Amino acid sequence: MSASAERSWTVRLRRRAVAALPPEKLLPDGQPTYVASWIYVFGVLSLASLASIILSGTILALKGPTWWHVSSIGHFFNSIHLWSVELFFFFMVIHLWGKYWMAAWRGGRKRVWITGAVTFLVAVPCALTGYVSQQNFDAQWISTQAKDAFNAVGLGGFFNLMNFGQMYSYHILLLPLAVVGLVIAHVLLVRKHGVVPPLELEQKLEAASRGTDPHRSS
Amino acid sequence: MAAAIFNLNHHAGFIHWHFIQLSVPNVIAIVLMLLVFAAAILAPFPGGRRSGGAS
Amino acid sequence: MSRAQRIRDDEAARTWTGGYRPYDLVKEASIAFGVVLALAVGLTILFSSPDERSSTIKSWSRTAPVDFVTTAVSELDGSSGLAGYGPPYNHASEGQHIAFIHLAKWFGVNIAIDAARDLVLAPLRSIYGQPALQTAITRYQAASAKQQAAWTTAYTDALNKATVGAGGSVSVPAGDYGPVSTMMASLLSFAQSGGLDGALLTNKQFYATDYTKALLFMADGGVLTNRAQAEDLLGGQWGMMNETGSYPGQVWLWLYTFWYQIKPFSTSANGDILVMAVMAALSLGLVLVPFLPGVRSLPRRIPIYRLIWREHYRSLESVDAVSAAEHPMPPPAAHLSG
Repeated sequence: MSASAERSWTVRLRRRAVAALPPEKLLPDGQPTYVASWIYVFGVLSLASLASIILSGTILALKGPTWWHVSSIGHFFNSIHLWSVELFFFFMVIHLWGKYWMAAWRGGRKRVWITGAVTFLVAVPCALTGYVSQQNFDAQWISTQAKDAFNAVGLGGFFNLMNFGQMYSYHILLLPLAVVGLVIAHVLLVRKHGVVPPLELEQKLEAASRGTDPHRSS
Repeated sequence: MAAAIFNLNHHAGFIHWHFIQLSVPNVIAIVLMLLVFAAAILAPFPGGRRSGGAS
Repeated sequence: MSRAQRIRDDEAARTWTGGYRPYDLVKEASIAFGVVLALAVGLTILFSSPDERSSTIKSWSRTAPVDFVTTAVSELDGSSGLAGYGPPYNHASEGQHIAFIHLAKWFGVNIAIDAARDLVLAPLRSIYGQPALQTAITRYQAASAKQQAAWTTAYTDALNKATVGAGGSVSVPAGDYGPVSTMMASLLSFAQSGGLDGALLTNKQFYATDYTKALLFMADGGVLTNRAQAEDLLGGQWGMMNETGSYPGQVWLWLYTFWYQIKPFSTSANGDILVMAVMAALSLGLVLVPFLPGVRSLPRRIPIYRLIWREHYRSLESVDAVSAAEHPMPPPAAHLSG
């Protein structure tokens, strides 16, 4: 490679990206044989729910925040948006339970766990900003109640639940960007490290430590 | 407004147990999650035996 | 499990050197999206979604005029929840704290609201073409604090015996209320005509999206609380998790609202910051699970993983059986056993 290519940021970035995630890792057409349980579908169901949230949210954004109060079509898409959120948390929590009981952070996958947990923690305030952007009684109640928690930790002056303009901005742009960014990092880390292999059975671990396991070099 | 098949715009039932007070729809959601989790783990997965096997 | 075993286990999980089966990732994602869409649309058709109309200051002042006027007087005389709140609205109190950590006080007042001025006096001043009202306001503002308190206290006591007249006006027994009765009558009329909703929304410009003042005013009265109680949305009713009607709510807030139901959180004046601190710690714990001794080893102690990977373990057993039959292991050398 020429000296200028060696110094090129673009070339360096491309090399690092392709080294970490060559196409066959990014979009594999095979999966390990141990991936043989329905618990494995809850990650992709969570992703699909997020896609549904974003799609229905985009349609709601097309006509503005008042539309769904005055139009039955708007109300229809608002309902899809709400049920997609319920499905998102439903599937995501089951996914989290599954990954916990699989100890899925093993083998260098701690960042996979961390990005997943932070996604959940960011999704909660993202949902909250949605609830206070509804422009109905529910929004009035939630904003006037939840404000006390934020005020108590000094954040209420910077994150004002009763300021519809601010909350709507957080809800349709800032927090979805954060959630999507975290999910992309999470999924790319899974693709990079692969789906975590099964826990070794106790007796095999002990045999391996004694050097008597035929499947393990000592 | 287009009406839903089931109108849920009425007061929710509540389940009280000591100091715990949960709405029936929330309890249904929680129970469903636990059942689906259990089912996901216990239900047989198709094609599980069709494999290259461990080394 | 020893530390060495855990490290070995961890390293063994780094890469999979076993078999793979064909798998269509894009097809699976597409099917998942179809399933979720079908579920979301199905739930929509079955149940729709709730949309209970907002309360307004107009509706509040028309349906509960005595409550409205009582709240307005409390904003004027500084006895309301907002007037005594503290940061970020005013300096009336220091806000909540844990030990020496006074986050509310440290971040200070950055949504400055003077309850008397912003919710009562300024809206009244904006009413055009009523010289008697403007004179009353001037008289009130010129009086001493002691005189103002005497008027508002007398009027508040009189409101306990108030009657609602035709057209929603509020009448109280005769007494020395100074200009307060005129001011309150005008504010009530302004609110009932819808003018106060607008006056509390606009700031220094035409376009407005900040409902803070109107919401804080309503929150100090009974209009929102009464509706919330009817819907079981109050804090003591685990309301944070609940939705209006019979819809599922924010189930994921279960642990957050749990703390508010038990002591010391339920009775402490600093309950909010205490709950936030506990939840911050637990959230950090969730993120750092892979590093927490005990928590990270629980999956091995409670072997749900044996169910998840039962096919894999069965296939290992059959491979081991075949391997053992074909290549019987010699007995371990004396120096390796034990």
